[in-house]
Amino acid sequence: MVLSLIILYVLTLIYLSIAERFRNHTTILAIQGLLLFGIAMARLHAFHPVEMGFIIVETLIFKAIVIPAILMRVIQKTKINRIHSSSSQFGALVMSIVALVASCTITYYMADNRTDMIFFGVALYALLSGLILIVMRKRIFAHLVGFLVIENGVFLFSMAIGVELPILINLAIMLDILISILILGMFLRRMDDDIHTDETDALTSIKD
Amino acid sequence: MEMLIYLVISILLAVLPLVVRTERATNIIAALFFVVQAAGIGLILGFGLMDGVMLSIFRADTIAVVFHTLMTAVLGFVLVHSSSYLKAERISTRSYKAYYTLVMLLAVAITCVYYSDNVAMTWVFLEATTICSAGIIYHREFQQSLEATWKYIFVCSTGIAMAYLGILLLSTVAEHGSLDYASMSMAIVNGNPLYLKVAFLLIVVGYSCKMEIFPLYTVGVDANYAAPAPASAFISTALVNAGFVSIYRIYALYASAEVFEWARHVLILIGILSLAVGAMFLRRTNNYKRFLSYSTVENMGIVAIGMGIGGVALWAAVFHVICHTLVKSSMFFQVGIMRHIYDSYSINRIGNYMNINRVGAVGFILGTLVLLAFPPSPLFLSEVMIFSEIVANGSWWLLAAMLILMCVVIYAIWSRTLRLGYHSNQDELHLSAVNRRLSYSAAVLLVVAIILGMWQPDFLREAIDTIVNIG
Repeated sequence: MVLSLIILYVLTLIYLSIAERFRNHTTILAIQGLLLFGIAMARLHAFHPVEMGFIIVETLIFKAIVIPAILMRVIQKTKINRIHSSSSQFGALVMSIVALVASCTITYYMADNRTDMIFFGVALYALLSGLILIVMRKRIFAHLVGFLVIENGVFLFSMAIGVELPILINLAIMLDILISILILGMFLRRMDDDIHTDETDALTSIKD
Repeated sequence: MEMLIYLVISILLAVLPLVVRTERATNIIAALFFVVQAAGIGLILGFGLMDGVMLSIFRADTIAVVFHTLMTAVLGFVLVHSSSYLKAERISTRSYKAYYTLVMLLAVAITCVYYSDNVAMTWVFLEATTICSAGIIYHREFQQSLEATWKYIFVCSTGIAMAYLGILLLSTVAEHGSLDYASMSMAIVNGNPLYLKVAFLLIVVGYSCKMEIFPLYTVGVDANYAAPAPASAFISTALVNAGFVSIYRIYALYASAEVFEWARHVLILIGILSLAVGAMFLRRTNNYKRFLSYSTVENMGIVAIGMGIGGVALWAAVFHVICHTLVKSSMFFQVGIMRHIYDSYSINRIGNYMNINRVGAVGFILGTLVLLAFPPSPLFLSEVMIFSEIVANGSWWLLAAMLILMCVVIYAIWSRTLRLGYHSNQDELHLSAVNRRLSYSAAVLLVVAIILGMWQPDFLREAIDTIVNIG
């Protein structure tokens, strides 16, 4: 069960590397939220109401509903549609596959007996995928998606190494990330209104 | 309980300006906020709360109290200078109130970083400083401030996400999920060396955006450039110190780890790269605020090298951060006063400051000399101590690299300062904006720094001794 969810998660990451429309990016992030919910629930050893409640809030509500809703609203307000036309989908796919191979190799050398190797590898792949999105895409919205992919990767990573932080700390971390995304979304809209741009190439007015 | 009361009062006071109507009421609230900070420190020192654990996640240890005291001192000047600065900018009452709310919230978040005794909570509060800073950076609402704000939030959030990854790796050593620094420093001995190395790299790189060192220093420079000058004084000192304290706590944690030697080499490398970046961009930039920000990068590079060398250099590094706070905030205040006279920060265009505002010019030139570590600058003392430890270690290549880079820094900073003081001015002047009282008040911090250069009181020496006692 967990393995099939993990494989689906990897597929979403590969699809994300070649998806052109931002609506598809948002849908994939929502699906990733659902998959993370399934994975976290499947890994619960016993019934803990508080822990279960937190997983539901963090994955199902926060990652699968609230964040995609914020992103959809940004898409509607800014009317951005797709990644830059000059972007090469083939190049992005190759980069993604290279990242997958690199993740497997690093996992092989790094993971110790306390670490779940499959989780570790997929989490690393998610982190690299997020970074690739940020580096290869020109549109600011794609950077926001990359940041969220990294955040999902960090969530998987915490499961890979079996770290269970206290609920209060987890809650504080989740709130911090949520507020950051709200503010990023707000400023993205403001940039569209004030500078009339949604591309990173235009953000070069501050330099020495 | 005391910490909870302090936090509730501070946060309430911070948001109170949003419901009052006038700027005068906002100023009174800001003054009250300052009194609460000072009272908090007084309570810790006077009622035996030192080293006490508060709310399970805070601890009033020496490093926290020292940096909270410094922050409060700078905050007092920030609140006074901000009032004059914002009035001269003729902003709306709404913006005025919002600015003060954000500065006070940032102060609360920074205080929490200083006192945090939990690896994960330090991360949480550092991320909170990003959110509070964002509003301050965007405060002037021009195109470049929007760009700076976006970059700041995005790079800080991504960088800090990386640091979180490092914290997760580090927490594999934690026993029973206990993430306080004391428990972790005992458990780290048994940690997987490879995990510990990767964790250290990720955390230092992530927190570098706050301490303004290589590699993520750029967002701090942009933030200082876009924010109002008094807020830049706060960001470039109190927030930078929050980054320093966070990295220092991790450094102290690693003292008992097998990979400590490796971690120190990483800090030396980061330090020398920061120094190189500072030297290069101090020559290139054409803006006085960016100029001072690159000087922060350079100074924090020296601090990282001091931490990497260890021994006496570690003592010097902590002393350097304390004195840099006083000097740099003073210089940012002077630059804020300059802005209203010239309506510009352009290095190539403004000049003749010695004849226009002699008090301000003397304050700025004196500040430059202290920043360049000319005796009796306290930075002279710290840099000599770092050099002596480098020589004692036989790291001649490091000494040579530092000396070459610091020569470039001295040339860049001094030539630009002379230009401001004595070259002809090409910009329009607003002589009515000359405010000598503000220039004098900014110089107070500088005078304190110079006194520390000549005489370090016993309590300060003992405090730094306690901070560096990490063995």
